[in-house]
This record gives sequence, C-alpha cells and structure tokens, in this order.
Amino acid sequence: MTTSTVAAVRGLRVSYDAGDQRVTVAEDIDFELTRGRTLGLVGESGSGKSTVARTLLGHLRDGSRIDAGTVTVFEDDVFALAPAPLRQLRGGTVALVAQNAGHALTPSMRIGAQLRETLDAHGLPSGDDRLIELLDLVRLPSPDALIDRYPHELSGGQQQRVAIAMAVSTDPKILVLDEPTTALDVITQAAVLALVNELRERLGMAVLIVSHDLGVVSAVADDVLVMRLGREVEHGPTQEVLNRPREEYTRQLIAAAPRVHGVDIIGREDPDADVVVRCRDVDIRYPRAPRLAVSGFDVEILRGETVAVVGESGSGKSTVASALAGLADVERGEAALWSSDGTRHDLLGAAARRPVDVRRSVQLIFQNADLALNPRRTVGDAIARPLKVFGRASRAETPAVVDRLLTEVGLGPEFARRVPAQLSGGQRQRVGIARALAAEPTLLIADEITTALDVSVQAEVLALLDHLRESRGLSCLFISHDLAVVRSVADRIVVMKDGRIVESAPTAVLFEEPRHPYTRSLLEAVIEPGHTELPGSDADHRTTTLDPDAPLIDIGNGHRVRDDEGALTTR
Amino acid sequence: MIRLRDLTVGTRVGLTLVGLTVVIAVLAPWLAPYDPIATDADNALAGSSWSHWLGTDQYGRDVLSRTIEGGRFALLVSLVATTAAVVVGTLIGAIAAYYGRWVDAATTRVLDAVLAVPAVLALLLIVSVFGNSLWVLVLAISVVYVPAVARVVRGATRPVLSTGYVTAARARGERSLPIIRREVLPNILDTILVEFAMRASWVVLLVSTLSFLGFGVNPPTPDWGLMIQENRTALTVAPAGTLAPIVTLSLLVVGLNLAADGLGKYLGVDRARRGVI
Repeated sequence: MTTSTVAAVRGLRVSYDAGDQRVTVAEDIDFELTRGRTLGLVGESGSGKSTVARTLLGHLRDGSRIDAGTVTVFEDDVFALAPAPLRQLRGGTVALVAQNAGHALTPSMRIGAQLRETLDAHGLPSGDDRLIELLDLVRLPSPDALIDRYPHELSGGQQQRVAIAMAVSTDPKILVLDEPTTALDVITQAAVLALVNELRERLGMAVLIVSHDLGVVSAVADDVLVMRLGREVEHGPTQEVLNRPREEYTRQLIAAAPRVHGVDIIGREDPDADVVVRCRDVDIRYPRAPRLAVSGFDVEILRGETVAVVGESGSGKSTVASALAGLADVERGEAALWSSDGTRHDLLGAAARRPVDVRRSVQLIFQNADLALNPRRTVGDAIARPLKVFGRASRAETPAVVDRLLTEVGLGPEFARRVPAQLSGGQRQRVGIARALAAEPTLLIADEITTALDVSVQAEVLALLDHLRESRGLSCLFISHDLAVVRSVADRIVVMKDGRIVESAPTAVLFEEPRHPYTRSLLEAVIEPGHTELPGSDADHRTTTLDPDAPLIDIGNGHRVRDDEGALTTR
Repeated sequence: MIRLRDLTVGTRVGLTLVGLTVVIAVLAPWLAPYDPIATDADNALAGSSWSHWLGTDQYGRDVLSRTIEGGRFALLVSLVATTAAVVVGTLIGAIAAYYGRWVDAATTRVLDAVLAVPAVLALLLIVSVFGNSLWVLVLAISVVYVPAVARVVRGATRPVLSTGYVTAARARGERSLPIIRREVLPNILDTILVEFAMRASWVVLLVSTLSFLGFGVNPPTPDWGLMIQENRTALTVAPAGTLAPIVTLSLLVVGLNLAADGLGKYLGVDRARRGVI
C-alpha cells in the first residue's frame, strides 16, 4: 500500500441468504482508492456495484455477510471495527451521497438544521458561517436564505448539492457516490458531476462513483472497474478501458450506450405519407390547476413516422401523451386522427366516450415496466384482454394470436403462462409492447419506455420498436427526456419546456443546427462514453426563460423555433 | 394459493384455534353430552365430576354442553355480518377511490360521520328499536363496520390506480366495475383478507358483549356472552360456568388475531413478486 492509498478492497466476496441457499453478490473484487483520484464502478442492475461501494462504510444489507477478503480504510479493517469507531468512520472518514436526495434528506427538517446535525455528530463547529461556507462550496445560490428552507422547496439538483455539502462537511477522505445523478435531468447532471470533480481537487478526497452510465463515469473517473454479475470484468484507466476495451462485455456496454454524436441518422422522411395525427394549438389543464400544463401544442405525425417529444420532468411531455390517449382533458385546440380509409376521428375528450375504433387506434406503452403489468395476471391474460375488449379475436383464436404476438416481440409462446414477477425488466417491456400491438393500433404512444432499463436492454427494446414500426407501418409518438436515445429512433423531434414547444425539426437538422438556446444547452449537457469535458458546475443556474407570447417561427426545412431571446439572432 | 408449511407457527396456531372452534360449533349437536337447555334442579351448581366434566350451572344445566353449543350464535352472526361488512365496504371503498373528486369527498364525509358513532351504542339503539333477531344483528353490525372497511380499502386502492395496467385499461375505455374487478381487486386481496379476519375477531367480541348486556340471544339459548352474565354470580361456587365461556371466547379471538396478523404478513410481503398469483 503506497502512502497515497486511502482504502483498499482485497479479494472481497459478499453473499446473502435467499431461502435455503446463499447467493453470492460479489466475488473476487479488488481495488484501491487513491487520494485525489476517482474510481468509477460501472455495471448494469444486479451487478453488485452498490453492495461493493457500501462495504467501504462498513454497511451490508440485512442477511448479507463477508465470506472472504478485507476492506481496509487507512489502516483499519472496516468490518473488524467496534461500533464507536465505525460510527466515526461513517460520515467522518468515508461519506456517502445516495441516489435520490429527495429521499436522503429529512422532509421535516430545515436544510441548515440537517447540515448542523452531521457536524454536531462528529464534534465539529456548526455555526451559521460554517453552514453558509458549505452551501457556498457546492455552489448553491444565496446560501444564507437556503439554510432556512425545507427540502421540498428545493429542486432535485439543489437537493443533491445539499446532500453533497452534507457529505463533505466533515472533510472526509473518501467520498462514495451511489448513482448520484440518475434522478436528475441532463443539464443538472452535468453540473453536479462538474461539482464532484471540483470538490475532489479542492479537498483532495478519493472518490468512488457508482453508475450504470458509462458517460457519467468517463466524465469524472480516472479509473474504471466494470462489473457484471458480481465479478470484475475489466479494470483500468478510464480512457484505456473505453477506447481499447479488452473484454467483449465492455465492448457491448460501450456499443449500447446511446450517443448524440457520430451515429447515423436514417432519413426516412416520406413526404407523401398521409397524416395520421394532427394537433393544433392544444391547451391542457389539470382539473382546477391555476396554470396550463401544456399550452399551444402543435404536432403532425405521418403514417410510419416516429415523432419524439423531448423535455425535462415537468415540461408537459407526458401530459401530451395522456391527452392523446384520452386520459387528460384538453381545454382548447383540436386534435384528430385519420384511420387508413381516410375517416377523420376527433382525438379530444375522455377515452370512455370515444368510439371503439379510436380507442383501439391509439395505444400506450408505459415507462415503468414493473407497474405496467398486473402482477396477479399471466402474460397471456394481459395480452388477451385488448383482443377481447376490441373484438380482435374470438375466444377460440385468442391463444394462437397471443402466441403470435409474443413471438413477434421476441419472446416465445411459453411466456404466455408466466406472471410478470418471473420476467426481467426488458421482457416485461416487450409484453407491454405486445399488449399494445394486440389492439392493432395506428398510433403507438411510448412514454419514457426505456428509462428504467439497462443500456443493453434499452438498445434491444428500441431496435424492436423500430422493427415493428417498419413491418406494421405504425406511427409512433416517442416521449423521452434523453436526446441521445431519441436520436436513433425519431424522424422528427419536438423539444418542450414548461409546457411549450421551443423547437421542432427533423432529427438531423435539430442535432446539426439547434437554434433555441434551451435545445443547445440540452445538447451540450449530454455526456457520452469517451467524453471528458463538462460544462461549468453552476450550469444549471443559467436557466433559459421563455417569453410567454413568443410565436413559433418556421425557418424552412420543417424547422420551427420559438422566437425567444437568442433563438434566432445568435448562431 | 396458501401453502401451510410456509406459514409461521403463530399463524398456524391461530388458524388451528379458529378452525377448531368452527368445527366444534358446527358439530355441537352431536358432540354435546347433554341437552344444553335441559334443567336438573337436583344437580344445580355441581362441581366437575365424571358425569359433568365442567359441572353444572344454577339450573343444573351441563356447562360443557352449553360451552360447546355456546359459540354457534356468535360465530354465525360474526361470519355473516363480517362478510356483509367486508363486501359492501370493499365496494364502497374501491368505488370512492376510483372516481375520486366529489364522489370520494362525499363518501368519505358520510363514512366519517358513521365512524364517529360508538359501535356498542349504535348497536344497542338498533337492537332496542328493531328487536334482537339474527338479521337485525347482522344488518346492524354490518352498518357499523362498513365505514372502517371502506376506508382501509380506499387507501389500498389508490396506489393501484396510478399503475400502468389500470391506465391501460382506462385508455381501452373499459368501464369502472370491470377495471375494479379485474385490475384492482386481485391486487388488494391481501388487505381485504386481513381486514376480514381482523373485523371477525371484533365482531365476535361485540356479539358476546351484546349477549352479556342482555341484548343478544334470549335465554335459555346457550351463548358464551350470556353464560358469563348468568354464571358470574356463582363464580366462587362453580367457577367453571364462567371461566369456560371466557376461555373459549378468548381462544377464538386470540386465534383470529394471530391468523389475521400472520396472513397479513404472508400475503402482504410482495407475494406477487415471488411469482405467486
């Protein structure tokens, strides 16, 4: 162990009880943390990366135990420590920042009081000046006002900054970040990562960052350890691993990561295709809400075309999806659907009041595959239901149709008898797609369908969707917060912010010539594998404000931009 | 369904106690050694002997026979009343949660108003006005317990309503009752079953309380609550006459509670996640 090594994990094996047998979550894990350097632990869900990271704090899940190996922080074996020194180690020498700061902060305590609690627990001075200094350190605006606020009054990014301030308040030697940016939008994610980099340099900590996202790791980590099913796959300097991966699994991970740059955009635009859906000036308001959730939404979807709606949480993109599916009331405007024989159907009003044909033509696929399927019904049952409701198959034909649909989405007929708990996330999402296809829809609305999936699974699901669209001539409204995901599937992209469209253009045009400042900041904030540049750590404070009266201006090529300050003048 | 060997010891004990009580009550006419209402003045307040294991009461009636038969009325009322309360309460709760807004607000207000009336007081009132026939009791107890069940079910229904499968069913334009039956009820069945067992134990006590107060069954019908009331004056002379119904009643209530508790844990802990429908 060299002098700059602060922690070492040697031959670690962790297992836990599962009924009668023990399941190994991590095996033969070796790494060292060095002062002033960042190690990234990368892996898909279930790879054991969080379990390994938390052993540095001497923490194991209930029923887990260390079977072999040691975890040493400075000279101490963490799992041999008495309770009192272990408490000093946690939060004192090793600090943790968890994934969701909204859950990590106590909702009923003011920010200042929570910070003070940590300082007091470690016997450190906890005056107001120290609190303000800490909040200033994590680049929170007006810290003196912030210490009197409650967590819910802060945005997700600000909450995560407070959690980081709390972690570094005791001047720890090691900072463990467990998926610190997964719950944040891209712009905030980039700023938080930049902050982590900056703090590591200023405070000389060793940092361990756990992430499923190769982009995140490549932006902050000096070294990277790729894990799969509890075992090390590859370990080395980040640039080397990402540019010259030795293992097939690493190559797959890198290939599956969605990118903004260097991916071919297939120009599938067929201008002669007929319009399937047209929305004009749609305003949507939730019952008794003072503010419109969506205002002036315009979109036109052609047959066989995928239109993506992109925006951060709260931009109204999912509200548009619910309105088209008849689950949210449209206050004003018009929306219509044309079936293949040219009949026009109104797409306004509640689903229950629409004609059967319209309900059948618009089908939804959901974000959270866990909640999308009824856990008490078999897969076959879930797919058979729309067949019955829409009268697509008689009782006798149903099993055959279900089998055919399951095969079409890449599962087999044997899946019909399983229940959702026996399926993986990707398989559940495929069942969700099969259920939507059972209705033989014209328009498929995919609401953030890949958010909860691992990158490799995400790539497969996107490929499936693309294949189905082509083979069935489906139109698709693809809702996502992720520009990189959208790039490979969409023909056209609509960017939304605060319920309004800020820019809409064919995919290639949008990525090459983004005109609106908001679109540009979104694109700049995307971090992909091999990317080392980060925008400033206060980037999320430079918010783009929208002028409520600004019109959308057509600048040719199907490219429309909202006429806000800086949108049309600067380039 | 439920596999017995996966249950905890407490749950099994609870289920056994309840099962035993029910079986004895059903088979009582064949099990009881004597006619429970036949008096024998020569043998009044006798201690336990080979002919009368638990002795006799002040009229010389066999305590064992009366104890064996004494659960029938309480169990019958409990079963019917609890079933009615849980079925109606589940429907009201699920519908209130499903429609939300004013339907929910109005229903909740009414339920709150009913909840505010003490159960025993309401029952005494109803029984003294309409008499103490089986159906009056069943109706009265259901009315008293429907609001509590409805509130629990309403709370359990709400998270289910925000899931994708319910949204998908709504987007398919399905009507509210099929959605509640197909998508919601199977997912809150654990809550409902536990609610049933829990309510049943309260209702048993409530029925016995009514009998004890003289508003339940009419003498000389054997009933635990009534027996406690009749025999407590002779507690020092022939204690078995009071203790036997107390012990059986307690065992039943403890059994129901253990079963409710254990089933709740067994059914509630992400049963569906283990791949069990």
